[in-house]
Amino acid sequence: MSRILNALRDGVGFDILLVGAALIFLLALAGAPLLYNVLMSFQQVDMFTLGALFRPFVGFDNYVAVVRQPEFWLVTRNTFIFVFGSMAGQFVLGFALALFFAQRFPGAATIRGLFLVSWVMPGLVVGAIWSWILAGDFGVLNVILKTFGIIDTNIFWKSDPNFSIWAVVIANIWLGLAFNMLLLSVGLAAIPRDLYEAAELDGANAFQRFWTITLPMMRSTIGAVLSLGLIGTLQQFDLFPALTEGGPANTSNVAGFWSWQLSFQLYDFAKGATVSVMMFLLVLFASVVYVRSTRHEVRG
Amino acid sequence: MTKPYTPWFLLAVALALAAVYLFPLYWMYVTSLKGSSEIFANPPTFWPRDPDTSVYPEVWARRTMPVYLWNSVVIASGVTAITVILGTGCAYVLARYRNVWIDIGLFCVLMLQVLPASVMVTPLFVGFNQVGLLSYPRTAVVLAAAAKAMPFFVVLVRATFMSVPRELEEAALVDGNSRIGAFFSIVLPLARNGILVCAILTFMSAFGEYIYSKSIIQSPNLQPASVGLSGFLGPNSSDWSGIMAYSAIYVTPILAAFVILQRRIVSGLTSGALK
Repeated sequence: MSRILNALRDGVGFDILLVGAALIFLLALAGAPLLYNVLMSFQQVDMFTLGALFRPFVGFDNYVAVVRQPEFWLVTRNTFIFVFGSMAGQFVLGFALALFFAQRFPGAATIRGLFLVSWVMPGLVVGAIWSWILAGDFGVLNVILKTFGIIDTNIFWKSDPNFSIWAVVIANIWLGLAFNMLLLSVGLAAIPRDLYEAAELDGANAFQRFWTITLPMMRSTIGAVLSLGLIGTLQQFDLFPALTEGGPANTSNVAGFWSWQLSFQLYDFAKGATVSVMMFLLVLFASVVYVRSTRHEVRG
Repeated sequence: MTKPYTPWFLLAVALALAAVYLFPLYWMYVTSLKGSSEIFANPPTFWPRDPDTSVYPEVWARRTMPVYLWNSVVIASGVTAITVILGTGCAYVLARYRNVWIDIGLFCVLMLQVLPASVMVTPLFVGFNQVGLLSYPRTAVVLAAAAKAMPFFVVLVRATFMSVPRELEEAALVDGNSRIGAFFSIVLPLARNGILVCAILTFMSAFGEYIYSKSIIQSPNLQPASVGLSGFLGPNSSDWSGIMAYSAIYVTPILAAFVILQRRIVSGLTSGALK
């Protein structure tokens, strides 16, 4: 007994205790639910069997039923538009801003830091503000676009089926742009200055320097930022209830929000679990990329 | 290097970019100050004709904001407490050693960091229902949200611990301190600032928590401000000055804390998030 106490005070037991407490908590509230989710996707779950641990197994019936839902392909298409549209916007604009703020001028770091307010704001508030900016009749974005002659008639961002998914994409780009920029700035700052000076002496122009020095030197940063962007976009939920609620007619619905709707609005927990298992496979892919891109640091 | 532009020109461009980027925030405050007819003016006014703050106390009372905000504070405090207490020790150990087990632990934490809440909410709800936690909905939300917040906290705080010199801790051990003593009297005080910043970040994100609260908490008396806002939004809402005033009341404390701590938050994120 005293040996165990001593180990806790002085030996490896102390470390195991510290890690163990956190890992047990995480496994109970994240690992176990994940496995339970997979189990539920093969079971028949409804309001009557909600409290039961053992329910009738139905094999792949839930998966077949989900794929047969009329909105399945629409939601799949929207998920890809949302994910890749958001990632492309956040990354390209974030990279451009990071390059700009890498110049030396007074206040660069402070102004760059201010951009991050978008990231600390509650997602639902961001959604509410963009919902007002994107409003069809009185939204300020339509007014600005018309002033610059980009559009002639108002775009009903939230209620036009052709634009509804893009309304959420725009809000999500705004939300995640600053975080992308910040991480890319870190990568840029780590590139040794003399590389650029040497290249300039050899006559490389700005584009060549970007292509042959910046991009290759930032490969691991870009990998991490892109996979974090993918993960962050797949985690995005709050903008949907605030902006479009997946509508009109599911034209802005994505897997995450659909899964929640199936479970908590239609009380079809089996289908909700099935959709989220499908989505998790996508997340798994992203996380493998992310972990690979940070592995060199993990190994030390 | 020849520079055709001056730093002051760059500063002006930077300020312009920031103004464009932060326009949505400005628009929130401006809209909240407009009267009901001015809101729907065409073209919209970019500065309210006669700023009117009367919507603030009205929304505060009509939407029972004190109740919602108090619940947000309770939930965010609970999440932060659990995350800091359990996450700090975990981050410390993961930062101190290098072996296969640490790699596996870190891999688990990274994998848990990527799980979307929308994937977890269905099994958590059904599981909480089975163990009876749904009778204590705020506690259930705190547990669920803490599990979501902790991996990111661990990753960030681990970077802080890695910057604490090992030699100081070893010297304390040589001087006869126990591991516990060295941890509490040497390592923790040195990492205090980093931990504090990460705790504040955790609090900020938990303050905006929505999906678990919306799914798990049924009673309006226990719901946080995010759920209160969603009830205000609806597809046919037109009370935009009210919604913007609600949003402004909700986010102004977060924005103030962020602006005050901006430097520390940015440096904490940049040292941790990529490692």
